[in-house]
Amino acid sequence: MAAVSVRNLAKSYGDKHAVRDVTFEVEKGEIFALLGPNGAGKTTTIEILEGFRERSGGDVKTLGVDPADRSTQRWLRSRIGVVLQELAVEPSYSVRQVLTRNAGYYPSPRPVDEVISLIGLEEKADDRIKKLSGGQQRRLDVGLGIIGNPELLFLDEPTTGLDPSGRRDSWDLIRHLSSAGTTVMLTTHYMDEVEALADRVAVLNHAEIVASGTPASIGGRDSGTVTIRFALPDGVSVADIPVHVQTVDDGLVSIRTEDELRVLHTLTGWALERDVILPGLSVSRISLEDIYLNLTRGAR
Amino acid sequence: MTVVSGSDAPPRGGWFHGLSDLRLVLRQFRYEQLSFWLNPFGAMFTVVFSTVFLILIGSLAGQQTIGNGLGDIKQVQYYVPSFVAFGIMSSCFNILAISMVNRREMGLLKRLRLCPVPTWIVMAAIFLSSMFIALVQLVILLAVGRFGFSVHGPANIPAFALTVLVGMVVFTALGMAMSTLVPNMDSAGPVVSLIFFILVFLSGTYFYISPSSGLAKFAVYFPVRHLILALFASFQNEGVSPWAWHDLGVMAIWGVAGVIVALRRWRWAPRRG
Repeated sequence: MAAVSVRNLAKSYGDKHAVRDVTFEVEKGEIFALLGPNGAGKTTTIEILEGFRERSGGDVKTLGVDPADRSTQRWLRSRIGVVLQELAVEPSYSVRQVLTRNAGYYPSPRPVDEVISLIGLEEKADDRIKKLSGGQQRRLDVGLGIIGNPELLFLDEPTTGLDPSGRRDSWDLIRHLSSAGTTVMLTTHYMDEVEALADRVAVLNHAEIVASGTPASIGGRDSGTVTIRFALPDGVSVADIPVHVQTVDDGLVSIRTEDELRVLHTLTGWALERDVILPGLSVSRISLEDIYLNLTRGAR
Repeated sequence: MTVVSGSDAPPRGGWFHGLSDLRLVLRQFRYEQLSFWLNPFGAMFTVVFSTVFLILIGSLAGQQTIGNGLGDIKQVQYYVPSFVAFGIMSSCFNILAISMVNRREMGLLKRLRLCPVPTWIVMAAIFLSSMFIALVQLVILLAVGRFGFSVHGPANIPAFALTVLVGMVVFTALGMAMSTLVPNMDSAGPVVSLIFFILVFLSGTYFYISPSSGLAKFAVYFPVRHLILALFASFQNEGVSPWAWHDLGVMAIWGVAGVIVALRRWRWAPRRG
């Protein structure tokens, strides 16, 4: 059974479609990312899966139950964790107080001290929340998401507002949770976050899923054009190069091809034969960001 | 009753888990109180505000007499019940409404909604907490009245208790309704406090209003005046029935209206979102 199963999900407000004909599955133990521009429907989709928002149509199962079914909502909410897009913590409590309070809502919570350690706030455990930095408050938000020891964790832009070191720490925590069997579903704007964390990704644009797959293959990324670059060697002219060159910019040769193995073989064979080196030789596939921008072009 | 278990089959209908849920209400109530008292300046200001007013006004004008149809009585005998009403309204309406707007706009209600805590437990704890703060004020005000101004407590304790209970419930409902009408945190304090202070002023909290005056005829359309009159009646030991059914009835109508508005306009997510 998939942790999350979505078939033809729709949500509309009057004539406006927030989400339309969205279909995907998230397997247990997987890290699944929803990408998309602001207003594409990411948060709406997640809120429907959490049971916070009601859908207009389609079939949805979260941990095997319909999240809109009130008779199983309490059970469902005891098994999911949620990290909201924005900070939502009472400023007057201490870190330990708010975690202890929320732990009491769940049937089998994680030990509070374990969570404090996981989010790296040991030295701030008894400080008032209003005295924490923005990044520390964000980490506490993550702590509140995992205090219930969830099977499925929803993270809505979990690293927005964190510094680079804080982001890496959050990534480590998410990997740690995933390796312990927690299914993670996250939304993000950061391509490096998707590449670092996600097993699979779906891109939402204008309320619809426009592509899905692994970060390495989405949008035909694994089978598309690659760019081979090197600096033009001394004593060699462009006409000498045995393959078709697209551009030479300030001495940097760029060759775009879909037949990378054959072109590289020809090129390196020629270089060995001529006994020239190809300075700075690199082969780069189209970036996830390029794919994303192509898929969501015209979104704003 | 269903107990959440570790089995794969999701239990159904699990919104009331018996005694464990009642314990959860008490636990949540303790955290509500903790949150209130963790801001000691704000908490003390809330609690002693009505007492300071009673002491000031009672000292300045308390010994003057008013004719209320029951013979002349000292003004302070009116001020004690009127400031008890003020305390109930400040906790259950003013503070509650501002706090609920803040909770909604900060995303705290949304987070609670996503926890496995039923709505009724969350609301019961919030209501009990604001009622408890009202009761703390009530006890202080009665003590100040008794030992500072020699005003005896309510002559009819059951009538007083019923009026306090109805007042707390009605103004809690109105406080919840008010919170749904305020769009953001910035305007919560000014809007709610302005409405609150205008109503308590016009309804005769700070000065006795003759029932035949034009102001009284205007104020009877609002619940504040009726809470003051009903409490005042429960303090009298002769000449008037302590059971102010008419006043309680008008308050109840306002309470029902508050519940309807609160339910129709309620939302867990920030309005800015």
